Amino acid sequence: MKSLRRFLTRLRNLATGRQDDERLQEEIEEHIALQAAENLRAGLSPAEARRQAMLKFGGVEAMKEEYREERRVLLFETLAQDIRNGLRMLRKSPGFTVIAVLTLALGIGANTAIFSVVNGVLLRPLGFRQPPQLCLIREIIPQLTKFYPTFPANVPDFRVWQRQLRSFKNIGLAEGISMDFTGRGGAVELPGAQVSSTLLDTLGVNLALGRNFRPEEDQPGRDHVVILTDSFWRSEFHGDPSIIGKAIALNGGPYDIVGVLPASFHFPQSSELGTLTNFSPHLAFLKPLGEDASQIDLLGEFDYAAIGRLSPGVSLAHALAELNVVQAQIAKKANEKVDLRAEIIPLASEILGPARQGLLFLLAAVVAVLLIVCVNLANLLLARVPRRMREAAIRTALGATRARLVAQVLTESLLLGAFGGALGILVAFFGVRAIISAAPPGIPRLAEVSIDGRVLLFAIFISVIAAALFGILPAWRIAHAEPQDALKSGETKATERRRTRGLRSSLIGVEVALSTILLILAGLFTSSLAHLLRVNTGFSVAHVLAADVDPPPQNYSSNVSATRFYNQALAAIRAIPGVRSVGWINKLPLEGEGSVSAVALPGANVGNTSNLPPVNYRVVSPGYFATMGIPVIAGRTFTDSDRGRKVVVVSRRIAQNLWPDRNPIGQTCLISWGGWKSVQVVGVVGDIRTVQMDKSPVMMVYLQTWPFDHIAWGGSIVVLTMMDPDGAASAVREAIHRVDPDVPITALRPMTTVISKSVDTRRFQMLLALLFAVCALFLASLGIFGVVAYSVEQRRHELGIRLALGARLRDLRAMILRQGMSPVIAGLAAGVAASIALGSLIAGLLFGVHAFDPLTFACVAIVVVLVALAACYIPARRAMRVDPMVALRYE
Amino acid sequence: MKQKMDVLQGTLALMILKTLDVLGPLHGYGIARRIERISGDLLAVNQGTLYPVLLKLEQEGSIASEWGASENNRRARFYRLTRQGRKQLEAETQDWEQTAAIIGRFFQVKPEDLT
Repeated sequence: MKSLRRFLTRLRNLATGRQDDERLQEEIEEHIALQAAENLRAGLSPAEARRQAMLKFGGVEAMKEEYREERRVLLFETLAQDIRNGLRMLRKSPGFTVIAVLTLALGIGANTAIFSVVNGVLLRPLGFRQPPQLCLIREIIPQLTKFYPTFPANVPDFRVWQRQLRSFKNIGLAEGISMDFTGRGGAVELPGAQVSSTLLDTLGVNLALGRNFRPEEDQPGRDHVVILTDSFWRSEFHGDPSIIGKAIALNGGPYDIVGVLPASFHFPQSSELGTLTNFSPHLAFLKPLGEDASQIDLLGEFDYAAIGRLSPGVSLAHALAELNVVQAQIAKKANEKVDLRAEIIPLASEILGPARQGLLFLLAAVVAVLLIVCVNLANLLLARVPRRMREAAIRTALGATRARLVAQVLTESLLLGAFGGALGILVAFFGVRAIISAAPPGIPRLAEVSIDGRVLLFAIFISVIAAALFGILPAWRIAHAEPQDALKSGETKATERRRTRGLRSSLIGVEVALSTILLILAGLFTSSLAHLLRVNTGFSVAHVLAADVDPPPQNYSSNVSATRFYNQALAAIRAIPGVRSVGWINKLPLEGEGSVSAVALPGANVGNTSNLPPVNYRVVSPGYFATMGIPVIAGRTFTDSDRGRKVVVVSRRIAQNLWPDRNPIGQTCLISWGGWKSVQVVGVVGDIRTVQMDKSPVMMVYLQTWPFDHIAWGGSIVVLTMMDPDGAASAVREAIHRVDPDVPITALRPMTTVISKSVDTRRFQMLLALLFAVCALFLASLGIFGVVAYSVEQRRHELGIRLALGARLRDLRAMILRQGMSPVIAGLAAGVAASIALGSLIAGLLFGVHAFDPLTFACVAIVVVLVALAACYIPARRAMRVDPMVALRYE
Repeated sequence: MKQKMDVLQGTLALMILKTLDVLGPLHGYGIARRIERISGDLLAVNQGTLYPVLLKLEQEGSIASEWGASENNRRARFYRLTRQGRKQLEAETQDWEQTAAIIGRFFQVKPEDLT
């Protein structure tokens, strides 16, 4: 308290300085006068009395100085002076200042941009009330964990949980759906979610307008109500507050708008809610459940993300124990030979888990880039040290303390940091925008990323840290200058140079090591992506177009009419000149799992689907296999004569699984497609990567369109054509619309786009890593260039003497290269060693390539050595052009 | 002539406070003279220390100052104890007595006391 008060008074003194000096002067004079008067009374002569008084008082000036020291805030006054000096120094060398500020701005900007992503995605709390209480409930069927470790929840189980569980205050369900919305611009497919009336209460979300769903609206028939998201409400209805109570047309029927969600509402994406859920990142609406639990198999339709809010004071373990008791009761009631369990995962960790590793890796990479920027600047400043030794020596001789010298030099680097940081925030602003627009959809909560107060604090923090980092070494060197040495011979003392040169070389080593690590990581990522794109998907995408179509159910109410539409559309497309073949499938490969069910041999106990391996079902037209280049391994594919016959085509893995040592053609098996049905296998086709590029093929059953009531009306038409893709696309669009102009074409793109989209996340990661690595290498080569050029410049005299004594140019050049390259080689070795040590950390992010891939390591080493050689060679050669006589006279 | 002792570091502030407490408002010269006199002229108050200490005490709020007329009718700065200064004096007096008592005990200690 006392020292604070003193400090505040001192601050005030800054303003009243002169007044106080006058006051002190007056006090001193009075003091001496009083003393003199007393001396006079003691019998001294007036002159002697005054002399004695002044003698007794002592050194007035020294006292005044001490008095002033007590009065002022030394820091502030010298700081202002240091800043003035610093600005003058920076103005005096504009080239250095511009390079320093620009590289710093890039480094700080990139860091701030990546940090704002980390901040938005990992650090900012979820937009729900008391998120620690929220958790995701997933069901476990122990007999199936081999295929799916966990499942989403189903409606009947949810009802039981709601009735019986005490550990949860509330539980909500949600399933991603899409509905055809007929608005002003014609029919569009609108992503939404089907949720239980309890969901919003569970999450703790209050509506911006209107009311929540009522419990009775969960029942089918009463579910024609919707709650709109803020973005859809604004884009489609211009934020009209009187929208409540009006109706919109979804799937051809009217739905009453009962509420609008707040802008802060962000529902987690499917990648965050576990496998087998399917939420669009841009939800437009919520609708009630509309499911009758009594109509659903107790062990079927595991389609819903279940989010629970724990009752206060209940631990996860306690809730799980209670939940598992209830699960066991459900399994018993279902009376099937299968167990049921569950797991409870805190929502926050589930949402952020998968993204965390990649993001933290990027953050580490970008921090490495900033470190290189700092090392470079430290090097540049060190190069200027000898020139400033003289100044420092004079100031030391005049009485400046070491601390004062350090403060002066650090102020300069802090000024650079401040300018770089300010510009860096601008860079980050654009960087964040670029990242958001370039990023793949897999990154959770990316839309929420922005530059907020915390990000700005981070930017300021790293600016200061960076400035301190690159300023401390030069400051230390200057502060330890020997005044006599520096004054005697200016800047040419060889010993001084050698010490500084050693320091600068080791900094080069650090730069090269960091660049090497980044290059190796980027190389491994690139190689992973290349492996992934080269992986045998089992189908061929060259010259194949895919058009997603979605015949509206109200116009195509029956299987027959939908089939007719597809047949006509396929025929129309086939008639386009240049089209080789055309086919249809209900869900394209690489777009995730779907229609997962089971397949069994006749006589198997199919009452218990749960111990049968899951199989992906797809409905296709006869031309699909030929169009996609999926090889027929045995038998044949569908033909038109199969119409009405119960035949299927299976993938090779199913054939091997069911009939390991028999010819699968002509065999009978049971498929689970709207109940168990007996079908005959007519063909076996190759396995394909159905789920994702980096997931091995799953088992597939292909059905033909007509004999079965298939559920999915929407699907994709695939076209093999030799035309140019643009022309083909418009011809296909035209052909489909000739058949029915009201059928929305939701996507029309080459299959190569589908493939490339499926590796978006990896490509994004790879591009950023590559960008950072190239920046790092570029900065490091600048650093090498600077050090070698400077040392050649400094050693002209010595080189001249060597030349005059008969050294050959070639030898001198070799010497310079050797000296320039030795820290590079050391740094390279350190970087390779560090990469090996770090390898296990990134193994999970790689595909088809080992973390210690010798090819990548070798390529990186070659690139680093070549770039470093070039950076050394250019200044070395320039130095060699010098005439020895000129060099000798150079002094 | 016996050499005068310089005032011990840190004790000058205490002496100033006590002097002001006993004698009421005084100017700098008066404070210096009284301290010298109270010490039986054994102490010499270094003016170079006195005024910075006065300033420090003022900035800490223990004393306050205002202009007044000195004995020879000139303007002089008079210092007086504030309420906070009085509290500080009490606290420091106690501290000092305690310290003195401890040191005193050490001086009185005999070998047999420690066995």
